[in-house]
Amino acid sequence: MTIRFCAILTGLGLLALLIDAQPARGEYLRIDIDVYGMDCGLCARGVAAYVGRMHGVKSVDVSLKKGLLQIVLEPGNTLKMADLRKRIRDNGFRSTDAKVTAKGEFDGARFVVSGCGDSYKLQKAESPGTVELTFAIPTAE
Amino acid sequence: MVRLSQLLVAFACLALSPPLWADGNGPVFGYSTATLGVGDIGVGTDVMWRGGVAMLAPEFTFGWKPNLQLSISAPFHLDHGDHPTGRFMAFSPGDPQVEALLGWRFFHSSSGIGTRNEATVYAGVSALTQDVPRADGPPLQRQPGTYGALAAGHVTRRYDVWIGGGYQHYFRWTSNVVDHQSDSLLSSLVLGWRPSFLNKDSPKPDVRFFWETTAEKVGLAQRGLSPASGGGHDHDGPPPSPDANGIVTLPNSGGTGVFSGPTFLMTYKNVALQGGILLPLLDQPNGIQTHERIRAAGGFTYYFLGRRK
Repeated sequence: MTIRFCAILTGLGLLALLIDAQPARGEYLRIDIDVYGMDCGLCARGVAAYVGRMHGVKSVDVSLKKGLLQIVLEPGNTLKMADLRKRIRDNGFRSTDAKVTAKGEFDGARFVVSGCGDSYKLQKAESPGTVELTFAIPTAE
Repeated sequence: MVRLSQLLVAFACLALSPPLWADGNGPVFGYSTATLGVGDIGVGTDVMWRGGVAMLAPEFTFGWKPNLQLSISAPFHLDHGDHPTGRFMAFSPGDPQVEALLGWRFFHSSSGIGTRNEATVYAGVSALTQDVPRADGPPLQRQPGTYGALAAGHVTRRYDVWIGGGYQHYFRWTSNVVDHQSDSLLSSLVLGWRPSFLNKDSPKPDVRFFWETTAEKVGLAQRGLSPASGGGHDHDGPPPSPDANGIVTLPNSGGTGVFSGPTFLMTYKNVALQGGILLPLLDQPNGIQTHERIRAAGGFTYYFLGRRK
């Protein structure tokens, strides 16, 4: 009886280690993106509502004066930058530069947001590994 | 003239109607470009007043594709006075009919924060819903019509400029009906301005003022001399002579006009309120029709935004 109980405990412990040992999942945490063309309150409201319905988006704040969307994402999201830019384009506006905070894999030259597959060339002093970085994405990427 | 009860009906319709449409850029009478996002819906109504006759114009607009917008409007009479003919608003027929209008934004450039240049071409079809009373005889047996328009604009957070023009044409599709409602050409220039003290950030109310100028040329209507039509008599003087086909060109129809005046657009959350007046700079009817001293329109609108997942 005692042996069987110990075996169960050991099994559970190994399972916990196994789960913990899985690589951390990369994802965007926050995106601030410049949007050109929003000239009115309804424009801003429309694009914020449309982006806000994307899977994994927790909240969207919009500034008409700055032409800025500030997006906070939920843990476990798989949002891709290309999908976000398409949403903005579908509303008749143009997304430009973005500043993102994301968790992902950094190898010293390239940062991969593994949850969605987006990757960026970065020059950062961070050590390689799973890191949380804030960086700018120019319009072209 | 509009009676009090009819005005009450109009305002009751406004108050009780389901959430309503507007076009996002604001001109009340003039042309602007299509602006709804994909999946966005606007439902709304305008009250239009012209030459002593009031109309209510329910409208529905849908953002079909990023640059494709469908709208349906169906203005109808609130009274039965002698009604001026011809289109006087860019996105709503001037007579009782239902019109479906497809707008394609074929040029679009967002060049800065709050700044856009864009152009849209519109094509529409319309069908009669109510007879239009005429002072010179019974209502014309009107046929379906088509409408084509072009609009272009430069929009910023501080000012807007819109220009556009459109042509409404009515067919003679039924062989035994020769009545023909006046075709009309409408053009507009709209200057918009958002004063600094109203240049607030979202989600505060967004208010803009416009100065709209419209120019129109309305053609002559024609009537067949069939027993059903009742002939082509006139207010004063002898009836006009029919041509070889028995068609009378009605002298007291059509004309030329230029109207100009202030309008506004206020949006807050998903609601838009807009309204304004136009005053005549030039009003030259072809005949003895009553001159228009003022044109007025006002509307309450509502948007369903970001519905699509």
